[in-house]
Amino acid sequence: MTLTLSAWSALSPYGLGREAFTAGVRSGRSGVTVLDREAYPGPFDRAGLVPGFTVAGQLGRKGTRSMDRLSGLAVTLVRQLLDETGADAVTDSDEVGLVLGTGSGSVQSIMDFTAASFTGKKPYHVDPALFPNAVMNRPAGQCAIWHRIRGPNATVAGGAATGLLALSYAARLLRGGHCRQALVGAVEEYSVQRAWLEWHARSAGVDPAPLAEGGALLLMEAPDEAHRADRAPVATVLATRFMAFDEPDQARQVLANCVTAALRSAGVAPEAVEVVAPLGAEGELGRQEERATADALGGSTPRVVRCRPLLGDASAASAAFQIAVLLATARPDGRHDTGIGLVTTVDPHGVVGCALLRMAPGPTSTASGSRDG
Amino acid sequence: MSRDSRRVVITGLGVVSPIGIGVTRFLTGIRTGRSGVKKITSFDTSGFQHANGCEIDDFVAADWIRRADPDDLGRASQFSAAAARMAVADAGMPAEELRRRRVLVSVGTTDGESRDLDTLTARQLDAGAEKLDGRTVRRSAAGRLSSGVIRELGLTDVEAVTIPTACAAGNYAIGTGFDALRAGEVEAALCGGADAVCRKTFSGFYRIGTIAPVACQPFDRDRKGILTGEGAGMLLMETLESAVGRGAPIYAEVLGYALNCDALHPVAPDLDSLARCIALAHRHAGIKPADVDFISAHGTGTRANDVTETGAISKVFTQPPPTISIKSMIGHTMGAASALAAAACALAIREGFIPPTINHNVTDPQCGIDCVPNEARSADVNIVQNNALAFAGNNAVLILGRYRNGTPA
Repeated sequence: MTLTLSAWSALSPYGLGREAFTAGVRSGRSGVTVLDREAYPGPFDRAGLVPGFTVAGQLGRKGTRSMDRLSGLAVTLVRQLLDETGADAVTDSDEVGLVLGTGSGSVQSIMDFTAASFTGKKPYHVDPALFPNAVMNRPAGQCAIWHRIRGPNATVAGGAATGLLALSYAARLLRGGHCRQALVGAVEEYSVQRAWLEWHARSAGVDPAPLAEGGALLLMEAPDEAHRADRAPVATVLATRFMAFDEPDQARQVLANCVTAALRSAGVAPEAVEVVAPLGAEGELGRQEERATADALGGSTPRVVRCRPLLGDASAASAAFQIAVLLATARPDGRHDTGIGLVTTVDPHGVVGCALLRMAPGPTSTASGSRDG
Repeated sequence: MSRDSRRVVITGLGVVSPIGIGVTRFLTGIRTGRSGVKKITSFDTSGFQHANGCEIDDFVAADWIRRADPDDLGRASQFSAAAARMAVADAGMPAEELRRRRVLVSVGTTDGESRDLDTLTARQLDAGAEKLDGRTVRRSAAGRLSSGVIRELGLTDVEAVTIPTACAAGNYAIGTGFDALRAGEVEAALCGGADAVCRKTFSGFYRIGTIAPVACQPFDRDRKGILTGEGAGMLLMETLESAVGRGAPIYAEVLGYALNCDALHPVAPDLDSLARCIALAHRHAGIKPADVDFISAHGTGTRANDVTETGAISKVFTQPPPTISIKSMIGHTMGAASALAAAACALAIREGFIPPTINHNVTDPQCGIDCVPNEARSADVNIVQNNALAFAGNNAVLILGRYRNGTPA
């Protein structure tokens, strides 16, 4: 069963929603800004924050007292997508699933909770209202409660590949008949704790890119479902594929194999790929990623769209942003030659992945995903 | 082969549990009603008035993990990698053959590398955030629980996904493997769950008053709550055609599963929503309630869970079948719980028995079920329902059946 993406949105360093993201990446202006060092001490002095975002500011005070930033971003991202699509289309339903990618939940909430156990007068002097925040499926659960999404509610994790793994997981849910629509994407928050963990996790000598927060979300469904709801598809998912390598110097060959396998399964010729959105990590793996794509696509020279230099390193939300940047930079007149876009990723722990999309003809950046707006 | 005719079977089990490592010991444990309870030693429990749990004290990573460097894996990833290796060996599939196949690895978890995150938190409080250890940080990401498996087994054509959907995650992981095989997307699936006992989760549950002082007594009138446990359960699944083709013994057939979300409360379960999920799972698996020979319940041993869960069961079943909880023996192993329970169900089907609910004195009249108290029961088991509930209102119900030649059970 072919699956289509019939709406998308983003929360990004460019602000709330699809329009802000699209305008931002098209302008080529960086979304990375100087951090308020009082609010955000830690190893970085710059980051790609969602500008002005606070949970209470976006969602109000009611029901958000114990909601952490990660859940707040997730709930806002879902709201954004629903608002831009026509909310009543997919809420309050047993038939809609939510698949949300995460790195490791909110490491700030998790480690703060544990710290309270270490520093409190008693080891159980922890705040029970904050306990759910210390569990990784909290953001997905909060989205479900907030937006009354009662279908399958899943959280997936897989480093830089997370967004593509979420897409693949959601495709299985839809094909397996577990829901009719799936909201699928990934979110990260900026926190001092995440910043420290990312900083220590990076290999010595690699220039630490600033971190980004936010995420992107897609509405995925079968074409006839989209048609029935009068939603014009923005893209078709042709393939997702993943492979693994042991040593970093194998990444090039393995990713090239992975892309080749995806092209073959989709019946797409290498030269038909028009645009590539790589992870584009700094250092050796980034170079291997670039060479792998060149190897797999033969002599052709597709357009390359990069969001990492604009947003920063979005960690587990990276691949979701890469898909969003493909959709945001699809040619506005819709006159694609093939409309085929490739997203690639290389995770330092030995995982590569890719997705092949065919962007729908017609305007995707200025009009709403819904035909009647 | 068409989607409808492609059947999915379990041919290998890998188990790391508080009542035994390896299928044989685990089987003996669930058959004889062994208890895995002991004093928690993995973190300093001073200040807690009681601190029993179900830790694994005989796991030596180097005994099981051959290809990966155990120090590159946190405790939960060591469990999942070890259990995955066991499952492949148990299925009689040479590693080289698995490497030739396209594989899905999915590992459910509640806490990821919680033990490492505990350690990092302590270090940070002690010495400052700038002094954290890079290796510990790198291995602490949730994605490692599944990517550690591919590293250990040297897989190449593989999709590795960690599913941190808390305490229902094991069933989620098995479910997505089932979908992938049925759709012909992969040629083998290694699916399950893993978690390690940690301070964070213990202190959280302790604070909300759900940690039992001594023992876990699901469905008992005098139950006192959960005991946190640890371990991993991994299932090797393949299509029936593949299993028959290589002459592999079959534990059980995966008939279907369902997921839904209460979307109501961050931690409290909902009776109606769980009942809907059970009914959905029956429909997906093509069975009727009366077909179910026993239910492996989520059965945590808290009032909130047990009364809600048995209430949901009563709503779907005119006459509820025996409903047991292996958490009475192994504690609540969090993301591993429903995976270990699925392994127990597969063994129950093959060996013809219903595992007991131990530590049982008097059944809570509000539960009103036959929990197979204290001693396993011989039975002809054809169809089993494996329930899992999680924080955030996530329900996952898996249906396994005895494999029969010919038409699906």
